Amino acid sequence: MNDEHPSQLLLIGIGGGGARLAAAVHTLYKDAMRMVCIDTDAIANRELISNTIPCILIGAARLSGNGTGGDAVKGRLAIQDDLHLLHAHLQGVRTAIILTCLGAGTGSGVTPEVISALHDMGIATLCIATEPFGFEDESRTTTATRAKAMIEEHVDSFCIVNLDELFQSTSESLIHSAIDATNKILASGITLLWRLLTRPGFLSINAERLHAFILYGGTSSFGNATASGLKRTDALISSFRESKLLRSGDSIAKANAMLVGILAGADLRLTEIGDIMKTLRDWSKTEAQIEMGTVIDPAFDGRIEVVIFCFENSINAVVETKKNPSASNASTTTSIPPAEVFQIQPGSAKRSKSKSKLSPGATGKGKFQNVEPTIYNGQDLDIPTYLRKNIHLDR
Amino acid sequence: MKIPPIAALEIGTSRTVVCVGEVRENGRMRITGVGNYPTTGVRKGQVIDLSQARVGVEAAAADAEKMSGVDVWQVLMTLSGGHIQSTINHGQIPIRASDRVVTHEDVEEVTAIANEMPMEVDRQVLHTIRQTYTLDDQPGIVTPQGMRCNMLSFNTLVVHGHKNRIENVVNVAKNARLDVTDVTFSGVCAAFAVLTPDQKKNGVVLVDFGAGTTNYVTYTNGVVSAIGSIAVGGDHITNDIALAFNIPLYRAEELKRTEGSSIIETSMTSRRIALPADVGFSERTISCKALHIVINARMEETLKILRSRLDEAGVLIHLGAGGVLTGGGAYLRKLSELAQRTLGIPCQIGLPMNVDGLEANFDQPAAYSTVAGLVIYGQKTYEDNGFLSPIRKLFGKVFNS
Repeated sequence: MNDEHPSQLLLIGIGGGGARLAAAVHTLYKDAMRMVCIDTDAIANRELISNTIPCILIGAARLSGNGTGGDAVKGRLAIQDDLHLLHAHLQGVRTAIILTCLGAGTGSGVTPEVISALHDMGIATLCIATEPFGFEDESRTTTATRAKAMIEEHVDSFCIVNLDELFQSTSESLIHSAIDATNKILASGITLLWRLLTRPGFLSINAERLHAFILYGGTSSFGNATASGLKRTDALISSFRESKLLRSGDSIAKANAMLVGILAGADLRLTEIGDIMKTLRDWSKTEAQIEMGTVIDPAFDGRIEVVIFCFENSINAVVETKKNPSASNASTTTSIPPAEVFQIQPGSAKRSKSKSKLSPGATGKGKFQNVEPTIYNGQDLDIPTYLRKNIHLDR
Repeated sequence: MKIPPIAALEIGTSRTVVCVGEVRENGRMRITGVGNYPTTGVRKGQVIDLSQARVGVEAAAADAEKMSGVDVWQVLMTLSGGHIQSTINHGQIPIRASDRVVTHEDVEEVTAIANEMPMEVDRQVLHTIRQTYTLDDQPGIVTPQGMRCNMLSFNTLVVHGHKNRIENVVNVAKNARLDVTDVTFSGVCAAFAVLTPDQKKNGVVLVDFGAGTTNYVTYTNGVVSAIGSIAVGGDHITNDIALAFNIPLYRAEELKRTEGSSIIETSMTSRRIALPADVGFSERTISCKALHIVINARMEETLKILRSRLDEAGVLIHLGAGGVLTGGGAYLRKLSELAQRTLGIPCQIGLPMNVDGLEANFDQPAAYSTVAGLVIYGQKTYEDNGFLSPIRKLFGKVFNS
């Protein structure tokens, strides 16, 4: 049974940045893992394929493999043209981790569409997206902001990584080293999910629990820390208190649910696990649900690495609270159902939005894709009216 | 004069209909056979695949033959599409006689000038519809002969379309081995079947909501005053629903028919509609309110475009008999309410009352208004000319509304 679990988890790298992150994960995680990259750039695509990472080239008919040139609309149209190419990689997938860099054309245009499609297939999605640097052009920030709003429409768990903060958390000053270091930080968090499933220690997390955590995750963040020596647990805790990714520990304090992975060698002691978990439990809210797993790997002998995913549940409402309105009135937080009563629910059965957001299908023309457009007062009437008028639909 | 059975063909965006009509002793046309087949190869009223479209014509003609017992080999055709436009052509002459009395020759001269409309090479005149005469500044004169004036004016409404697209539609029928004797604009045909003389006299707009286009014809003082086509129809609503809820088109069409409403019904706001699982997606529910919002946005926009067209043509204030909605799309729930609200005139569903034999056999007879009207049009043409003329002679024909 366990052998089947990893195959239910798929890593998707979108755009040049997302593909680079996926490549970093691939490098760090030696074993075979299900992953696929999506890009509009044929050259980058070719490099990934040569690196044995399967990569889908989208929008070839539209963009001739030249990329989007930073245009998110082109990215969106490209994936609308070729979304079917992704379907072949989704056989049996129940949970998808999406890596993307927002601000450019492919990442910002393609990611919302892919997440929307996965959502409709009932696949739980965790999107880990990087925001542009503060010194980058304002248009990239604007594009990223728009893309975030569209991603939030359908994503189950959304982890936004601020690159400025991420780079500050590394001690490297040379840009090349800093990029490597940050890629490694992100990759270590992501590989934890696979390690927990494929190389469990004495305490394990099964694929279904992971699916539930992601499905009900909402706003998410993650951080990791490594320590060695006699007082390595103390060192780990102090690292989390300083972690920029975990907002100096604020993410832990506010989390409604946490996924904790402890990676260590055979020298891991039970008291160390107890110390780490007691500290995290004291640190977090009393009602927070904490799921923990260990990975015992000889490669970690002498050191211990802890990765924490914090889920704050503010994007989505839980199915259970929709079914039972009185429960939702009683509490504003969303709890992940216990494992024994958790029933598989497609990602579609929830959503509560407070404001209007542009749908990912904003440029979609559906069956009128290839017919002469009906233009009236400069508007293409073949595009749905609700999209052109930006009317919010609480579906 | 005995009029032979008349066959009419409509290659619509969603379905192809062949209708056979026979004139009874009381002079009314009765529909004796209807063939109906889903259309493929047509988008927004325009042929995009000749061979696919031909299949529908052959099947519909066969069914109509079977039902009526009439051999269908010669048909009248109706067409629509965003390329159909109408233009008012103006003719004016001074009255040279010293007594300033309009003569028969004056009338013929001004009519000939008004009928002469320079057309771009890629445009084809479908109809030249006579309107009323104006004597000096006195409009609305039907028979000017014998009246006095200094200047005699006459307007014709010229309906024209893209030449190649018209020929493509005709070629579909020809490929199905049908002899096309005439081609008319579908909006005009629907008016023949649906409108009463009183409505035409008092001023009325007939709106034919098809799958690919929304066609309209207005009558003021008994004559056609504006004609047009908006290349937006029921298919757009279906497409909007499919995109809004990420569901297949056939499911969207079903939702539109069973749960759709042109206005956002407050009693339905909290209701959720269950969509059973199907290939490609799992069981789910959607908000009824969201569905209504999608449809309302599209229909309101279409009606606002229509309103601005009528306003531009200067006819909106002359529609004393209000609006008559027909075509398959007219059955969308609460459409007449929305149309009334948007156009600012009373609106009602219009059925093809000027023919017999449809109401008893079909759930939605308004969906057959165009093809039923085409049969009536054939009857009138036969009565006027004594035969159904070959198409090459009838292109650009002049007729009185």
